Amino acid sequence: MNSLQVQPVARTVTSVRWLPPRAGNAYTDTDLHFISGSSSKHKELVLWTTTNPDFKQLNDSDTTDDTNALASLVAKTSHDGDVHAIAAASSDTIVTASSFGTISIYNIGYGTEKDCSLSLRESVTAHRFANGEPAVCTALAVQPIDAEDAEVASCGEDGKLSYAPISRLDALQSHEVDSTVITGICWPTPTQLAISTRAGQVKLFDRRTPSEVSSVFVDPSQSYDFECITSHPSQSFRLATGTNTGAVLLWDIRNPKQPTMEAFNVHESNVWSVQFHPTDSSKIVSCSEDASLAITQWVTGGSSGDSQNRGVRHLSSFFNALSINCFDICPFTRTSILVAGSDSGNLLMEKSPANEFSMF
Amino acid sequence: MSRGKGVDKFVVKREKETALHLKPGVFPLGRQSEWAAQNRTLTFAIHPLTAGVAVSVAGKEPREKISKDIKVYEPDERVYFCKTVAVPDGRLPFANDTHAVFVAMQSIMGQEAEEVGVEGLLRMSALYREAMLRQVRMLQDAEQQQQQQQESEFVEAEVEVFQSMHAIWHLLEIIYLATNLPGLNTSVVPYYMEWLNFNFPAPLAEDGQRIADSARDADALNGNAELWPYLRKLALRGHMTTLANMLEQVAPAQQLSAPAARWARELARVSREMPLGTNDETTGSFNARWRRWSNEMRDIATAISSLLSEEEEDSQLKSLFTIAEILRGEVDVISEEGDLWQDVLGAILLYSEPTAQADRLPALAQAVLKQFQTDEFTQLDRALVALLNHDLAEFLVYSNQIDSWLSAHTSDIMDHLGILDEWRSVFAVDPRAHYLHLLGEKYLSHRDLWHVGLDYFGQSKTSAGVSLVEESIVRMPLESDRRAQKMLGVCAKYGLTTAADRIHRQLGRQKWQRGRLGAAIGHFARVEDRNAIGQICDQLWAEYLKSGNLTYGPIIDGVMAGGGLRHDRLQFLTQYRDFHESYKAGDFVAAGRILLAILVDETAPPHAIPDLLVDAIPLLEGDGLVFSADDTFELMRCAEALTQSPLVRKSIEAAAADPMLPWTESAATSGQDELGIFNVACARNLARSFVVQ
Repeated sequence: MNSLQVQPVARTVTSVRWLPPRAGNAYTDTDLHFISGSSSKHKELVLWTTTNPDFKQLNDSDTTDDTNALASLVAKTSHDGDVHAIAAASSDTIVTASSFGTISIYNIGYGTEKDCSLSLRESVTAHRFANGEPAVCTALAVQPIDAEDAEVASCGEDGKLSYAPISRLDALQSHEVDSTVITGICWPTPTQLAISTRAGQVKLFDRRTPSEVSSVFVDPSQSYDFECITSHPSQSFRLATGTNTGAVLLWDIRNPKQPTMEAFNVHESNVWSVQFHPTDSSKIVSCSEDASLAITQWVTGGSSGDSQNRGVRHLSSFFNALSINCFDICPFTRTSILVAGSDSGNLLMEKSPANEFSMF
Repeated sequence: MSRGKGVDKFVVKREKETALHLKPGVFPLGRQSEWAAQNRTLTFAIHPLTAGVAVSVAGKEPREKISKDIKVYEPDERVYFCKTVAVPDGRLPFANDTHAVFVAMQSIMGQEAEEVGVEGLLRMSALYREAMLRQVRMLQDAEQQQQQQQESEFVEAEVEVFQSMHAIWHLLEIIYLATNLPGLNTSVVPYYMEWLNFNFPAPLAEDGQRIADSARDADALNGNAELWPYLRKLALRGHMTTLANMLEQVAPAQQLSAPAARWARELARVSREMPLGTNDETTGSFNARWRRWSNEMRDIATAISSLLSEEEEDSQLKSLFTIAEILRGEVDVISEEGDLWQDVLGAILLYSEPTAQADRLPALAQAVLKQFQTDEFTQLDRALVALLNHDLAEFLVYSNQIDSWLSAHTSDIMDHLGILDEWRSVFAVDPRAHYLHLLGEKYLSHRDLWHVGLDYFGQSKTSAGVSLVEESIVRMPLESDRRAQKMLGVCAKYGLTTAADRIHRQLGRQKWQRGRLGAAIGHFARVEDRNAIGQICDQLWAEYLKSGNLTYGPIIDGVMAGGGLRHDRLQFLTQYRDFHESYKAGDFVAAGRILLAILVDETAPPHAIPDLLVDAIPLLEGDGLVFSADDTFELMRCAEALTQSPLVRKSIEAAAADPMLPWTESAATSGQDELGIFNVACARNLARSFVVQ
C-alpha cells in the first residue's frame, strides 16, 4: 500500500475540486488552485494553492520548500450548511451543494496570494421534502459544454433531480425521479444525465424530457446500494458506480436492454467517490470509508482479457484512520496530482509523474 | 472510580475544576438580592453522553404554593447550554493523529503482539511523542499570533499541558520500553539525562551565549556574576563539552589566582574525558573506565580542597571545588546545587550510579525526594514521582488530572506491556477501559470527533465499551443519508445489530414523516418491520383510492429493485399495478387472471377486497368472457367471505376507523350496494360461462 502525504486542516473535509486554468487549456500557471468544502462544526469553503509540480521538475535543483505544507490556504468563507459537493464551472466560478438543499454559486477573485477571495453570488433552494423540511443536496454536476448557459444538475435526498442554468439559478426546474435517495449524478453527454440511487439503480435521463427515465440498470445478482456514479471522459456508454459494500462496478450500456457490468471489489466499506483517471482513463480511482484510495486498472493488457494484467494500487496514510470522503485529480498537469479530504480532518495528496502513475 | 486502601496515601485534589459563567447572566443588573429572594434558584440536567449541561432558572417552591405576583425577568425564560468538557478546535489534529496511532496499535497488538514486542511499542510511543511535540510547536506558533490576552493565556495553558504530557510519556517510554530493549548496556542513565535535558532544559543555551557574548576577554568573562553559577549548572546537567570550553576560556583571566587557573584547565581536561557508555560495551568494562575517571576527579577535588584551606576567600576556587565535587558524585553538594528534584536525581545517576538500571530509580527517587517539600509539588511532579516509584494507580490518577488523553493512552500502553494487570485489583473497574471511556466521552462533545470518540469506547474491548458505542450511536442526529451510512458502518464494525436496527427504524420513521415512502419502506425492510411496511402500503393504497391515480409505481419499483424484499402488501400493490396496466392495454384476460390471483392468494389486505371485487365488475360484464365458471365461483367465495367472516369485517371496521384511510360509514353503505351489483354480475357471468363452455 502506497502512502499519501498528509496535511491536517482541523475540519472534516467532505468535498475537493481542482480549479481549471485561468487562461486557455494548458496549465501555464506556476501555482495550482483547488477548493475544499467541509462539514460538521466548520461549514466552510476554502481556496488552497499548491505549486505546480510540472514547473518544479524543471527547476528541481533550486526549489526548496520553506514549509512542509502541501497546500497553502489563500481564502475561505463560511457555507450555508455542510458542503456535500463542489463543481467547477470555470476558473473563477464554482457551484456547491449544501445539506440545506441549496445550490450556490461562488465567485473566486484572484489577486496576490493574500488578496484572493471567495464570495457568494447566488443561491437557490433546490431540494425540499414534501413536509417542507430542506433535503440534503447530495451531488451536483455541471453540463459539459463550453457555453455560458451551461446548466448545473443536482440531486438530493428528496429523490428530485433539479436543473438550473448557472447564469440564472432562479430558473430552476425540479422533477421527482426516484423514491429513495439519489446519491450521485453525472453527465455522460451534454444531453444525457445518469444518476445512482440508494436502491442500487442507475437511471438515465434525456435532458430534453427531464422527468422521464429513459433507462434503468440494476445488478440482479447482488443487492447493493449505490453511493456515487461517474462517466468515462470519452466513452459515454461507460459508467462506473461505487457501492456500499466496497465494490466499484463498471457498466457498459451500449445495449440498454442488456447492459454488461463488471465488479471490482477494491474496498472494504462504502465507496464515496469514483472517477475515471482524467489522463489515463484505463484506470478508475475510488475513495472509501475504509480510509483508502484505490486505483484500479480496468482495461486488460492484451486481447485475451487476461485478468492477471489488471491490478489495484491502494493509497492510504498511517495518520489518516478515518474515511476518505472525496478526491479529485488535476486534469491539467503532466504530473498526476491527486488531492483528497477525510473525516480525520486531513487533506491528502499524491504527486506522481504520469509514467509512474501508470506503473503497477 | 474508587481506589483501594493500599494506595490511599494522598487525597486527590481536583485543582483543575473551574467555574462555569453564564453569559448573559441570570441576574438583572443590580437586582441580585431581589432575584434570590423571590423563590429562584438554578436547576440543571447533564447530557448523558457529552457531559454538556442545560441550566435554567427554577423555583424553590412550586408556583401554586406562592404568591402569583412574582416579577418575571427575561433571563427566567432562558435555557443555557454549557459544556463542562470541551475539546478546543486546536486539538483536532492532535486528536486525529493520535487516534490513528491508537487504532493501529490495537490492530497490530491484537493480531501479532509477540512479533511486535517492545520494539514495535517503542515505535508507536515515538509516534505519540512526535504528535505531542507537533502540537506544542503548533501552539507556540499560535501563541505568537495571539492578540487577545485571554486567548493567549489559554494557549499558554495548553502548551504547559502538552509539555507535561510529553515529559511524562517520555519517562514512561524510558522506564518500560527503551531500557528493555536487547543490548549489553541497559543503563537508564543516558536516557534519563536525555529526558531531563529535553523536557526541563537548563541551563539554557541562550544564557551561555549571552554570557560568552558579553565578554571580550577572559577577565571580562570571569567578571560576569552569572558565569560560575552557570558553570555549576552545566556540571550538574552533564554538559561536559560546554563546561570544558568555558573553563578553558576563563582560565587565562588575570583576576584568577594561579591555582584556580591551573585547576580550571585541569577540570576542563578531565571533563572532556568523562567515559560514555555504548550499547556494545559490557557493564564491567564501562565500570573499570568509570572508576579510573572518578578517581582522577576525586584527586582533583582533594587537591582543590587542600588549597581551599589556605585560600578560603578565593571564590573561583570554591566554585571549582563545587564543580569537582559534583563531578565526583558527592550527593550533599549535588543536593545543595540542584533546584529541581529531577536535577538532583539526574546528577546522582550520572556521577554516582552511571550504570544504574530502571529498577534502581524508586530507591534513588525516594532518597532524593526526602530533601524536597512534596506539598508544593505540581501534578506533573506527582505523576512523575508515581511513575518512578512504579505506583501505577497513583500515576494514572494524576495523569488523568493533567489530561484525560494521557491517562487513556498510558493505561492502554501499560496494558499492552502487561504491567497493568497487577494493578487492576486496586481499581473498582478496569482502569484502561475507564480512562478510554472518559476520553471517548470528551471527544464526543466535539462534532468533528464523534467517530474518534466511538472508537475509544469500542477499542476498550469491554462489554461496557461496546454498550457505550451502542447507547451513543442511537442518540446521534441523523443529519444526512451519508452520515447515517457512516453510523451504520460503525455498528457493523462493532457487531451492533440492535443499534443498526434502531437506526434503520429511526431512518424509516424520518423518511415516512418527510413523505419519502419508498425510502422508508427500504429502511423498514432492512429490519423486517412488516407492520410498518404494511402501514405504508396501506397509505399508498389509500392515496390511490383518494385520488384515483395510481402513482405509486415508481416507489414500488424503487424499493423492489434490489430483489431481496418480500412483503404481502408490496406484492399486492405490485400485482394491482400490473392489473391496471393490463386493463389499460386492453388485455382483459390477463387483467382478470391477475385480479383473481390477488384474491385467491389472499395477498390483498381484507379492507381492499371490496374495491377489488368492484374492479372485477367491468370484467364480469364485458363483451368477452374473462372469468370461467370456476373463476366465478372463486370470486363468489371471496364475496361471501367478505360478508361472513368476522375477521374480515373486523379488518374493514378497523380500516374505517383509521384516520389515515379514506373509508367512512357512507362508503361502507355504498359498498353494500356495489356488492349487490357484483353478485348480479357474477350470476350473469356464471350463466354465460356455462353456455360458452
